Amino acid sequence: MTTLGQLVISGILIGGIYALMSIGLTLIFGVLRIVNFAHGEFLMLAMYGAWAVTTLLGFNPYVAVLAIVPAMFLFGGIVYRIIISPGLDKPHLVVVFATMGLSIFLQNVALMMMTADLWDVPPIFSHAVIVGALRFKAELLLGFLITILCTVGLQWVIRATYLGKAIRATVQDGEAAMLMGIPVPRIFLITFAGGSALVGLAACVMMPLFSVFPTVGLNFVLIAFVVVVLGGMGSIEGALIGGICIGVVQSLSSYYVAPAFGQMFFFILFLLVMIFRPNGILGQKGAATIGIND
Amino acid sequence: MTAILEVRNLSRAFGSLMAVNDVSFNVEQGELLGLIGPNGAGKSTLYNLVAGLLRPTRGEIVFDGQNVTGWKSHRIAQVGIARTFQIPKPYRQLSVVENVMLTAFQQERTVSGAMALAEATLADVGLSEYLTAPVGTLTVGLLKRLEVARALAMRPKLVLFDEIMAGLTPAEIGVMTNFVALLPARGITVIWVEHVLYAIMKTATRIMVLNRGELIANGPPAAIARDPAVVKAYLGEEMTIA
Amino acid sequence: MSIEPLAPPKKPKRLPVLPQRGKLSMFEIALFVACLVLIAVELSQNLRDVMVLTFLFAGLGLAWNIAGGYAGLISFGHAAFFGIGAYTSTILFVSAGLTPWIGLWCGGVLAAAAGALLALICARLRGPFFILSTLAAAEVVRIGALNWSSLTGGPEGLSILPVANVANMVFVSKTAYAVLMLAYVVFVYAITKALEGSRYGYYLFAVRDDEEAASAAGVNPLLVRTAAMGLSAFLTGIGGSLFAQYFLYLDPTFVISPELSFQFALLPAVGGLGTAIGPVLGSFLITPLSELLRSYLGNAAAGLHLVIYSAGLIVVMLYFPGGLAAALNRLGRGWKRKP
Repeated sequence: MTTLGQLVISGILIGGIYALMSIGLTLIFGVLRIVNFAHGEFLMLAMYGAWAVTTLLGFNPYVAVLAIVPAMFLFGGIVYRIIISPGLDKPHLVVVFATMGLSIFLQNVALMMMTADLWDVPPIFSHAVIVGALRFKAELLLGFLITILCTVGLQWVIRATYLGKAIRATVQDGEAAMLMGIPVPRIFLITFAGGSALVGLAACVMMPLFSVFPTVGLNFVLIAFVVVVLGGMGSIEGALIGGICIGVVQSLSSYYVAPAFGQMFFFILFLLVMIFRPNGILGQKGAATIGIND
Repeated sequence: MTAILEVRNLSRAFGSLMAVNDVSFNVEQGELLGLIGPNGAGKSTLYNLVAGLLRPTRGEIVFDGQNVTGWKSHRIAQVGIARTFQIPKPYRQLSVVENVMLTAFQQERTVSGAMALAEATLADVGLSEYLTAPVGTLTVGLLKRLEVARALAMRPKLVLFDEIMAGLTPAEIGVMTNFVALLPARGITVIWVEHVLYAIMKTATRIMVLNRGELIANGPPAAIARDPAVVKAYLGEEMTIA
Repeated sequence: MSIEPLAPPKKPKRLPVLPQRGKLSMFEIALFVACLVLIAVELSQNLRDVMVLTFLFAGLGLAWNIAGGYAGLISFGHAAFFGIGAYTSTILFVSAGLTPWIGLWCGGVLAAAAGALLALICARLRGPFFILSTLAAAEVVRIGALNWSSLTGGPEGLSILPVANVANMVFVSKTAYAVLMLAYVVFVYAITKALEGSRYGYYLFAVRDDEEAASAAGVNPLLVRTAAMGLSAFLTGIGGSLFAQYFLYLDPTFVISPELSFQFALLPAVGGLGTAIGPVLGSFLITPLSELLRSYLGNAAAGLHLVIYSAGLIVVMLYFPGGLAAALNRLGRGWKRKP
């Protein structure tokens, strides 16, 4: 029983981290209706950034947030201007392949500059958190708390602020929003940059837990895709639920079956969701079956 | 005369909304049947039910003696029902003649045969000069003609026209009306949804009026124009707009 | 019965010529002759290797293009079909002694079945959802192959004994492999051209451009999607068998990797989607470029060739959406117009 409890709660905590790195992807999809295939490389880049701030400048990775989040916001904005925006009015293939190209580009720039070596930062907390018979890494617990705060904060921004209203209007009907004087291209820019900034936050939370290397993004982006689809593309609370589902499935199946099959399980789960509930657990109706951005 | 299309007690619900509610009618071979009604009356839903894009909640559709209820759209097309789309849906990366060839393949299985049929059909609608034009360069009026050519190239028994006049100039409406009026003489039965009422009043042999998913009138154009229920349906709509 | 045609509208200014679908152009014939000449001339082993890979990837790009370019089924999971083909012929050869000349067809058929199944599974999915599902399906196959060690040899991989023999489809000379791969390209090219020139090719275009309109024209979209994916997977599977016979070694991490799937998709994307010549041009440009850059730059700049390549890809996608084929077409017309 303790083992099961330990596994489930570890799964939930790691799932929170998965959710955090997926929120940016789902936000961008929800508003711009594009999938950024370089999402994993954004994460990789931000992780290198967090590593550099921690190791070279001697700051705590959680302090690195102050530098990495604005830097990724800026980076996202630049990518939007150079690559995404010119591709938006073309067939959706163009953005798919252009972000794909960006993904290969960033991976190999990282390979050239940082080699294929694994880099990590020393653990932040020397003790695990102990509750009864259960033990957790404090970094995981903190990461989970940050995810919850981030989800709640983002929901608030979208519900209560002017920016949020403009974003919702854009999602509902871009053309009408434009006629109402909402600067839709600017909303797209802010969303893309904001989504990238969230990846920066995720990277800082993940740096104490994972090593960084040039292809680290590929491992995580596949998980992020699964999370986002499971939660319904474009849904923020969906990403949280999707992340937790994946975390628990992975944690249980790696223990009871085999670690390798743990990964296979969630891809199968992904395909099952696609076949039977293509709009995700909480997803918007019809999103998967109408051609997006065609 | 024999009925080519029989629709019996056809209904389609979207949630609690009855988009088409217990509609029954026959279409005779060689008729030019006008189908009118205010926006949201259920005309498009009715078309999508007959053309197989939607499955009916209740009711039956019999075409040419065959029960085709619930058939998929491509099988409906294969038995001889063609349609146009209200918003033209051309194949964006193909030229005009290739767009028409795709429906012509129903009649002519070879590429050269289909191309000849497509060219002939395009000549009918006056698009001979545009055979190789990319569809992206066509104006709305020309896209509507392309829709008509696509539907006719499969030599259908029954064709469903969906607002082929919208966006046309008055002169274009005149020629198109004359063109449609002659189709029954070529053995093609026509059902025609149109908001340009004078065109349909002039040419249709019979008119059906749909309002809120229900058939409220069915008869010759002159009688329809005087029908109080029809007048109310149309004026009622205007009042809600104002 | 004659009928008064609609009044012809204003004449268009200048119209393009109708694409000659299914017919060979002088350019294509010249390109083929050039390939034969290249095979005949003396080349270093290194260049010969580049040539083998260029041909192989041209064939694989063509195979992907049938689904991705013609039918609009963008798959990032084709490495699974490649792997199924490679493993089938190799396992049949290594454990049952079946010659790869027959084994490659078995691999192709299995891959086709997998492709058709994937198309049915993803029947309702469009756009990014379809893409992601193909990616996930390939990952399931990869992890499966990695863990089913009794069949695939697991992470240690599977080797073919290098006994050079025509019946074994193992050769000492790389020239022989170059001929084999060129034959593969010609085979896939011929199928693509035949498809393009028939009504089935038009069915693919119709389903790609507008499914509702296609079904209103009597085309069954699900059947077309399934057939296109099956054919594309079949040809990809054959490519996988040929790859296995050239490298004589297979491991799931390489042959079923997402990177390989991306590669299959990128060659037609750069060369020109939905054109027969596109994937060939893409491979002729990109494969030698990346192989040569890799061998000349070596470890001094690991990854530089991919940096150049991916930057090129982004520029092509954003500014030349028709790819090299469209650019070449414009160039050709420019020449013809000159007196």
